Amino acid sequence: MKKLHAVFLFLALVLTGCDKSESSPGSNTANSKPLSIGIAFETLQTEYWVAGYEAIKAEAAKRGFTVVEAVADSDANRQFEQVKNFITRQVDGIILVPKDASTCLPMIKAANAANIPIVLFNRPAGKGDAKSVAVVADNFALTKETVTYMISEAKKSGKKHQAMVLLGDLGDINAIGRRDGFDAAVKEAPEIVEVVARVPTEWNQEKAQAGMVNALQAHPDISFIFTSSDFLLPSIVSALKGAAKYHRIGATGHVLLGGFDGDATAFAMLKDGYLDATGVQDVYFEAQQSVQAIVDLRAGKQLPEVIRDPGFVIHQGNSKEKAAQMWGANARKK
Amino acid sequence: MTRRLLQSQYLVLLFCGVLFAALAPFTPGLASAHNFANLLGNLAPLLVVAVGQTLVLIVGGIDLSVTSTIALTSVVGGFVMNGDTGWLRGSPAAAPIALIVMLGLGGLVGAFNGLAVTRLRMPAFMVTLTTMMFVSGFAIWLAQSRNLPNLPAAFTVLGSRLWFALPIAATLAGFTHLLLTRSLFGHWLRAVGSNARTAHVSGVPVNAVVIAAYVASGVLAASASVLYTGRLETSSPVLGQRILLDVIGATVIGGTSLFGGKGKVLWTVFGVLFLTLLDNALNLLGLSHFTIMMVKGGVILLAALLDTARTRWLTA
Repeated sequence: MKKLHAVFLFLALVLTGCDKSESSPGSNTANSKPLSIGIAFETLQTEYWVAGYEAIKAEAAKRGFTVVEAVADSDANRQFEQVKNFITRQVDGIILVPKDASTCLPMIKAANAANIPIVLFNRPAGKGDAKSVAVVADNFALTKETVTYMISEAKKSGKKHQAMVLLGDLGDINAIGRRDGFDAAVKEAPEIVEVVARVPTEWNQEKAQAGMVNALQAHPDISFIFTSSDFLLPSIVSALKGAAKYHRIGATGHVLLGGFDGDATAFAMLKDGYLDATGVQDVYFEAQQSVQAIVDLRAGKQLPEVIRDPGFVIHQGNSKEKAAQMWGANARKK
Repeated sequence: MTRRLLQSQYLVLLFCGVLFAALAPFTPGLASAHNFANLLGNLAPLLVVAVGQTLVLIVGGIDLSVTSTIALTSVVGGFVMNGDTGWLRGSPAAAPIALIVMLGLGGLVGAFNGLAVTRLRMPAFMVTLTTMMFVSGFAIWLAQSRNLPNLPAAFTVLGSRLWFALPIAATLAGFTHLLLTRSLFGHWLRAVGSNARTAHVSGVPVNAVVIAAYVASGVLAASASVLYTGRLETSSPVLGQRILLDVIGATVIGGTSLFGGKGKVLWTVFGVLFLTLLDNALNLLGLSHFTIMMVKGGVILLAALLDTARTRWLTA
């Protein structure tokens, strides 16, 4: 027991004696030091997040800022711990990709309490009294535009198409925006598209593939597919190949394919003539705006709660001119 | 000296001290009061669920379903009390009833595991793995993948305020410690874990003891769910999905045997402290995600190897 007491005493001494740099969290004590930004991502499992992560780090480096990184591996509690660690480190700003709209609210509140500006990259927070700025793509509008283009292509065939949509995790407000954008577009063209399958994927490739295989079995005439994220395209290709329905644009039996994000797979499929269109999020714009928002918030500027990334639709008709702006095309070059 | 050091049950605590002392000078904020509060806040829910795992490991079982129990109880608790669609929304009884429902549900999942292991003679690994899959899927289906925010403050305060979360965790750990060290039940747990047949011959109600261990694990997982849910102020169907390795890792690092018969709550406290401190320090150092994963995996492996070597040496 004495030994235990000795160890506790040692720990207590270390705890109380080691810290020489105690000051209030978030305080700006050294203006001459470069700004430090904590970057907390929910996951790096998809190309989009990796591209966003790299783009933010590059933008920060361009401005001479230092960054502290953290990835929560899809665990909201871990992410909360990481944000609290950033506050402990007294970073000058936090850029957060939250797991979802609601679990990030306590994180934002913690940053608010420490007077540290916090910007949400690509996923906005839900309603609450926590104050943050979100830089997000207009998921609804961009999806609607993409699906409207697909419908215009479908119209050329002169027949009515059976459609399938792959939904994201409906706890993610981006997934909801994309679902609603899809629904709004198909609602305007009931004579061209009939939605026969809605596959919930929860942003999971295996679930997407299993759901697709089932849907293709139940509805073998599906000829129009939209995925809420391009990272599910490999699952779609696999399921279509399994059903002998994977054909180039123009070939008999081609299934109209559309997506969202603009990743490297989408670029390759677009170039090879398998993908009709995808809504591209401008990851460079979002990264630049996120870092700039930290700078502006620190300077006391008033910013809107949401900064919109307009994005753009890339399709077979404009792919040559738009490819340079597509982050997936650049990711492939690396 | 080395032998005495290795024999000491405080070896892992010593590792914590060494780790802290070695990293504190290079890790910004590690030794600050703010971070100390963070550490304790991170430690509390993990400790609660790991204490339950300790009981199950002592009887020679394993409970892989704790993470899905955390998720399911979080969702059902949210259904009871959330301010938007909760069955008891707005009622002052919402939080206490949700709490009772959550703990009861955790106990039910544990009882199912215990009954399947004892009555159907199924391996604990298979039973709890399938329970994990079923319960996890059930939680997601119930919630339709949606979170349930807007929980009453009387509930969220339990997990979001350190002065509530820490005493809750300490009380549960302390009670379990007394149960293990000062009660007949504690002796029965170890006896069953060491040799179930001998325990049975000696008059120990083996099946009841095993079922009780799983029920306790389920209730403690539900208690951890209360803390995790309160901390995030949101019920989530994927809550705790990624912490299984931390739970089992912390318990085993503490010294509880994966083969049953050996384990203490105090060891689990040290194991949880070690893992939490390691995670905290590596994050504060600003290392990349991949580096943290590699270092953490390496350190856990090293601790497990050291534990194995220690056990071999001491039994040689």
